[in-house]
Amino acid sequence: MRDQIAKYAARLVADRSALPGRIAFAAHDDVLISNGNREMAKLCEGVLSSLSCLGLVAASQSFPIADFLVRRAPAGESRIVPRDTETRTFLHDIPFLRREELAGDPTRRIAKLLGNRKGMIAEGLGVVAAGTVTVEQAYINYSSVFHSTFVKYLLDVLTDGFLLRGEKEAFDRFRAGWLRPLSAEGLAFRSGPIGDPGEILAEIAAVGRHTVERGLVDSFFGNISYRLGDVVYISQTAASLDELPGRIDPVPADNSSTAGITASSELLAHRRIFEAGGARAILHGHPKFAVAMSMLCEEKDCPIKDCWKDCDKVRLLGGTPVVAGEIGAGGLARRVPPVIAKPGKALVYGHGVFTTGRTDFAEAFRAMVDVENWCRGEYFRRLAAKRPG
Amino acid sequence: MELSPTNGWRGSLLHVDLTTGTARAETIPRDLLTHYLGGRGLGVRLLRETHTLDPYHPDMPLVFAVGPLCGTPAPTAARLAVVSRSPLTGTVYDCSAGGRFAHRLKSAGFDALRIVGRSPRQVAIAVTPVGAEIFPADSLWGKTVGETKRALSGKGSVAAIGPAGENGVLFACIMMGEGNAVGRGGLGAVMGSKNLKAVTVDGDLPVGIADRTRFDRARQDVMRLFRASPVIFGELGISEYGTPALVDLMRQRRMAPTENFRKTVFERSGNYSGPAIRKAYGGKKDGCHGCPIQCKRSAPDGTHLPEYETVSHFGALNGIDDLRSIVRSNTACNEQGLDTITAAATLSAWGEGRGRFPDAEEVPALLEDIARRRGEGELLALGSRRVAEAMGNPGLSMSVKSLELPAYDPRGAYGMALAYCTSNRGGCHLRAYPISHEILRKPVATDRFSFSGKARIIKIAEDTNAAIDSLVACKFSFFGATLEEYAELLSATTGEDYTPQSLKEIGERIFLTERFYNCANGFDAGDDRLPERFFREPGSGGEGIDVPPIDEKRFEEEIGKYYRIRGLTPRGTFTDPGYLSGLP
Ligand code: SF4
Repeated sequence: MRDQIAKYAARLVADRSALPGRIAFAAHDDVLISNGNREMAKLCEGVLSSLSCLGLVAASQSFPIADFLVRRAPAGESRIVPRDTETRTFLHDIPFLRREELAGDPTRRIAKLLGNRKGMIAEGLGVVAAGTVTVEQAYINYSSVFHSTFVKYLLDVLTDGFLLRGEKEAFDRFRAGWLRPLSAEGLAFRSGPIGDPGEILAEIAAVGRHTVERGLVDSFFGNISYRLGDVVYISQTAASLDELPGRIDPVPADNSSTAGITASSELLAHRRIFEAGGARAILHGHPKFAVAMSMLCEEKDCPIKDCWKDCDKVRLLGGTPVVAGEIGAGGLARRVPPVIAKPGKALVYGHGVFTTGRTDFAEAFRAMVDVENWCRGEYFRRLAAKRPG
Repeated sequence: MELSPTNGWRGSLLHVDLTTGTARAETIPRDLLTHYLGGRGLGVRLLRETHTLDPYHPDMPLVFAVGPLCGTPAPTAARLAVVSRSPLTGTVYDCSAGGRFAHRLKSAGFDALRIVGRSPRQVAIAVTPVGAEIFPADSLWGKTVGETKRALSGKGSVAAIGPAGENGVLFACIMMGEGNAVGRGGLGAVMGSKNLKAVTVDGDLPVGIADRTRFDRARQDVMRLFRASPVIFGELGISEYGTPALVDLMRQRRMAPTENFRKTVFERSGNYSGPAIRKAYGGKKDGCHGCPIQCKRSAPDGTHLPEYETVSHFGALNGIDDLRSIVRSNTACNEQGLDTITAAATLSAWGEGRGRFPDAEEVPALLEDIARRRGEGELLALGSRRVAEAMGNPGLSMSVKSLELPAYDPRGAYGMALAYCTSNRGGCHLRAYPISHEILRKPVATDRFSFSGKARIIKIAEDTNAAIDSLVACKFSFFGATLEEYAELLSATTGEDYTPQSLKEIGERIFLTERFYNCANGFDAGDDRLPERFFREPGSGGEGIDVPPIDEKRFEEEIGKYYRIRGLTPRGTFTDPGYLSGLP
């Protein structure tokens, strides 16, 4: 368990979602153990001891987005409702405690919220997330909260501007210091078509690692596939993209075997995209600016309320078609294939990006970089247009 | 919110005494419902005071209990638990079953039906909103389940025993008319010992929901998670192929028990895989009342097709690759009222003992002999533990607490190994269901060849599943949804506030109550043991997967941890003999 704590504490630093020195984990086997920032570790132990969970993480976000969201929330509000589809599906909402509610010993109050949700925000402290089954699950839940608060904050700022003292300055620092240029520069891809299953597995694993290392996606959010003849090689469900060796399922097109029942929930979408023709490689991830931008619609007086699942329009963002649709067996598997064939890229409302490569992953990877870069650029352009300077 | 004491729960049970031939409705104290929910929890609570009686003692209750979500559109909640003490294992025993029976019982106005006593003659019970009618069933005695169901058509939904239950086969099941079994543990024999052939239920009373808007939102959340789950609604998932979707996966993971667990790969399992069944019989979907998943399959002529455990045990475990014969065996079990897993595993242990596994042609006749307790069937009717002992080779029985292990080899999933032992009803995969994370990667994956953290994981899962079995919801829902959404459904339905944490605490109370009953009946750490084979012999490694024997020392360590986590003594018993008196 200690090795798990060390691994995921290092990940929070590597993916820069948490501040080094402001991270703590606790895990509960037959004894309760913790590690990290001493004060936070003590809190983690207290919270975990009153929960039926195995792991817990508390960490301060590298840029205090969650705190800003709490402070921006109207008085009387006690939770944040993410609007992106992926995190909303799994988190529902993110409860929070304001600074004054944390006075004294907040252990019980935090535990109460985590007794009902996967993650919560403690203002001034950071995000606390629990994992019922593993320490890794606590890390994943922290990452989900990080992702959803990030996307929500981007949208809120674009809509309402900066509302708090020092907020704009902090955001500018974040933009200059935290955001890194995205590129595929220097990466080597196997050129396709790739005809050997062993090579395909190795390439999928390598590309998975690249997407995480280049900051294109968070490690657990996304999937990758390659088609060889009648077999689709696809990453498994709940697999970390930078740890794919041994976690890729070969799925025959004729469904003559169901061993691929553990394949990604987006298998259906991948298959339909392959069937639509022209692609051998597919990348799917949830880069944050692309997710945020996909939710900005300028349609006036639209009667549709649940845009993320019911919108049947195809919008364009910098040449990338945007469609709506639920994940898995929901609608995106129907709506993405017709629009992705030509441009080799598509955005799903509030969800993420699909890109394809005609023969190999180089094209798909570059396309994803381009989509996110375009969305980033467009986001800041719109922000600047809203608030000059 | 609509405040009504009857939202979700009915607040009453129907008590039937077969000795006196009387029935009465009783109020269930609200406190018991809120603290034990329904289903398994309520049934286990209702067993208190009688839990040390012999399973065949007339005063031993046989409880059919539904849950607060039954009768609402909550997905997969039209289920019930049947609870008593098992004649096979001697433990307290509950089985979750679907079909339509549960829905009808709730619609008749009851949360539970508690049957005690022994009728002087063979009878059946008809439950309707006005109460229970006990009527003679001499003419049904000796009939198969199908014949019984047909004879009782028009009386609503039927739960019946076959000849196996009448004849006290220790693994006799109770069949719901729609092909769902109250499968394991021999509760059919308990029913038979009461001279009770069948129970019918009918009614159409609606169930109240306290907060409809909140309920609908939670239901949508559940459905969204189902759609996001490859195991549920994926193209290769159980909604498409039923549970036999697991055949190929277990083959690929090299953990399909073969030839009485001597091997873990059966090369010809493709003959009865999910796709093979679909090819041979079509894919007509079937399932429990109102369930959106519909994981059951039936042939065009209405024959119910077997589940994963059944195909694998009548297949690989006995070295049989003939799908038609496996389907025939399944049908024979359904008609005679036998638990398929124990039946197949007992045949397999016996086969190994005599040096030859039964062949495809032999099996259906042997099953009938078991149900009728004739010829070889007289011995085989006792289950594998007693058969192996009688053959002078107890090691042949692949069971824990006399319950035969299902089709997940413990050498291929160490959490499963542990959970087989800690399960209160014996070698069962469903108590903690670690296959969910060790194999199916839900909610997240764990390392199947590691014990790290597994004691705690198993404890939490046992508590969670005890709550799920008390709602009652189907385990398969939780390949997608979580207690978060089901706590919402429950709160919205009953008007009481529940959270995942409070549900797990309820589950813990239920689980420990069961363990306490078992300890009162003499069970302790010595019974939480895997068969020696798993510590001595490797499975069938290959294709880059090594399947070594389980490290016994490490296993013992983890069981020790489990007892500490549960607050038990190193013997797996309770420090406080008054534990129950502190509970509601
Ligand atoms: S998933 Fe299958 S077993 Fe579960 S409730 Fe639905 S039909 Fe019944």
